[in-house]
Amino acid sequence: MSDATKLAVAFAVTLAAITGGAALAGYVTADGVAPSPEIQNEHYLEDDLVANDTPGQANVEMESTARSQTVLVDPGVEPRGSVPATPFALLGFGGPDVADRDVRPLANALIENGHEVDVYVPDPEQQRRAAGPAGTRGPTQLGERLAEADAFVTFRTDYDEAELDEIESFVESGGHVILATEPDAAFDQPGAVGLDATLGVTTEPGYVYNMAENDLNYQRVYAEPTGDADAALTEGVDRAVLPSATPVGTTVAGSAVLRPNEGSELSTTRAATEAPLLVRTDGVVAVGDSDFLAPENARRADTDALIGNLADFLVSNDRTPPGPGGQQAPTGPSGPTGPTGPDQPPAEPPENGTAG
Amino acid sequence: MSTNQPSTALTSRQQLAVVVVAAAVVGAVLAPSVYAATNDPEDTVAVVEIEGPVNTALADDVESELADIRANDSVGAVVLKLDTPGGAPVASERMYKAVQRTSEQMTVIASVQSISASGGYYAMAPADEIYVLPTSTVGSIGLNAPAPRTTAPVQGPSGPDKAGGNAIQTWAEQETLADTFVDAMMAERGDEFQMPREEVAQADVYLGTEAVDNGFADEIGSLNEAIHAAATAENMGEYRVDTRETGPDFGFPILLRTDTQVVAVYANDPGYGEVEPMGLSYVHRPAVPHVDTVERFSESDLAVDRGGSATRAGGTSNETARLTGGVGA
Repeated sequence: MSDATKLAVAFAVTLAAITGGAALAGYVTADGVAPSPEIQNEHYLEDDLVANDTPGQANVEMESTARSQTVLVDPGVEPRGSVPATPFALLGFGGPDVADRDVRPLANALIENGHEVDVYVPDPEQQRRAAGPAGTRGPTQLGERLAEADAFVTFRTDYDEAELDEIESFVESGGHVILATEPDAAFDQPGAVGLDATLGVTTEPGYVYNMAENDLNYQRVYAEPTGDADAALTEGVDRAVLPSATPVGTTVAGSAVLRPNEGSELSTTRAATEAPLLVRTDGVVAVGDSDFLAPENARRADTDALIGNLADFLVSNDRTPPGPGGQQAPTGPSGPTGPTGPDQPPAEPPENGTAG
Repeated sequence: MSTNQPSTALTSRQQLAVVVVAAAVVGAVLAPSVYAATNDPEDTVAVVEIEGPVNTALADDVESELADIRANDSVGAVVLKLDTPGGAPVASERMYKAVQRTSEQMTVIASVQSISASGGYYAMAPADEIYVLPTSTVGSIGLNAPAPRTTAPVQGPSGPDKAGGNAIQTWAEQETLADTFVDAMMAERGDEFQMPREEVAQADVYLGTEAVDNGFADEIGSLNEAIHAAATAENMGEYRVDTRETGPDFGFPILLRTDTQVVAVYANDPGYGEVEPMGLSYVHRPAVPHVDTVERFSESDLAVDRGGSATRAGGTSNETARLTGGVGA
């Protein structure tokens, strides 16, 4: 081996030893990347995580065997240029969220048991006439319709003075009234206080919610019968679902029928509330929700039983309608005589419903 | 060359010594970099930005940055720099999983700037610690969704749930989505939260000062303090900071809300394809401006405001608006 080769080998061996040693030292002392551990997210796998989406069953039944009664429904439809001809088909046009289908379970129960269901839709023409010559005050449109009715269901609160008087005398004459109000009525509907005072009920601003036990959403609270509740209204009702409820009350003791279930709180106070959600005085039921009447909500819990009980309440009144002209109208299985039901002229359906 | 010539030439032994010394010198020069290449000291704190609405593009970037960080031996700790009101559920979950995986491997500290709510909170929850500034906003653990509505039958689809569906089914789906979120947060920070699950699920937001008290955050501190804490936790003496930007290059999308839902807007002067309804979202709704409060302006409008032109043209042409317009809240 020549000197030059020997030197070259010596150089290479020395360099390799040092750098190789450094590499080895680095490799040995390196922490190395451990393979990523398997991550088990048990919280995604819990059995009760997926909410039950079974819609449920509804069976709205009436027990009352009362003769045919006429129930007037005021869904809160605003008077418009062209009023829908078939009120049921077009309910909710411009109104506060109440459409035909929203009252179907109640209306169907009444119809199936031989009662009349009328829908009050103000006629703008008549309204203009009424507002025309002063001094000649007859009954309002609502008054004319109430005169033919035995019971009244309203989703509206902004009645004028004359209408409030007519509602008051309707109740005094034995007619039964259901007032279905909503938490947002306090925000966007004028005149709620006037109607509350007329019917002797109160509503409380804010909505009731329950974070612990609810029907798929904190606002969809369960309402349960109070201890001394009206048995007729709570028969078969362990708990009903009120999808957006506001507390209601009366000045009469013992009028509470349904209270929110335990753990419910009021939005305005964030404190526990037991304020009733459905109250009854003699002829008036005030319920702090209107959505529970809709078909999908009627299927939740015992809401169907509650609706049946409310239908019974409506027809078990002491009223005998005097009829449109003031004379006693014969009522029987055929219902009131004369122009029954809605008498608005046919009109084109609205192109776009603004409700909903 | 003759060998018997007296000379100053080195003996072979001397030559060998010189060569070895030379090799040793070269080796000594190379050794540190060779050592570093094989040993890779973990002296870098990576700062990953999670800013703006949580959407697919942001999740893509965050996922890939964190994967890169996990594979990069020189990164010893991660700080998430958050400033987001939340956004899409799936994008939030993707970031959550990526942060969770990274957190298994190294220290991850979340540093909230002005807000990290809803989907943003979801993403940072697996961090070892959450740093907030005193007036940062955190929380909003819940689902933002419109009320399910029943729809008239649509003719054509092959099944009832293809277009629309049943309101109760939608309620149940929303409940499941909300529970998924709340359960994950309880799993991550249930021991820290100073409140029961029901209260967490109320989806409230808290200021930093309150959050360190109720367990929604751990420390009051700035981004730099979070970086230093991360380096300290990994025993780095001296460390470098490597900031990694994520998300789209421009500020889009911006989130706006209508009365019923949240929409993502992808352009200044958006056309139909550039407005995307989000429907169900993990977003802190009050942090999203209402569409009514947003007005479009253009440079010419600003010029008028400055008293430039007295007469205003009948309206800025669409072309001009498209070129110079913007959306301001």
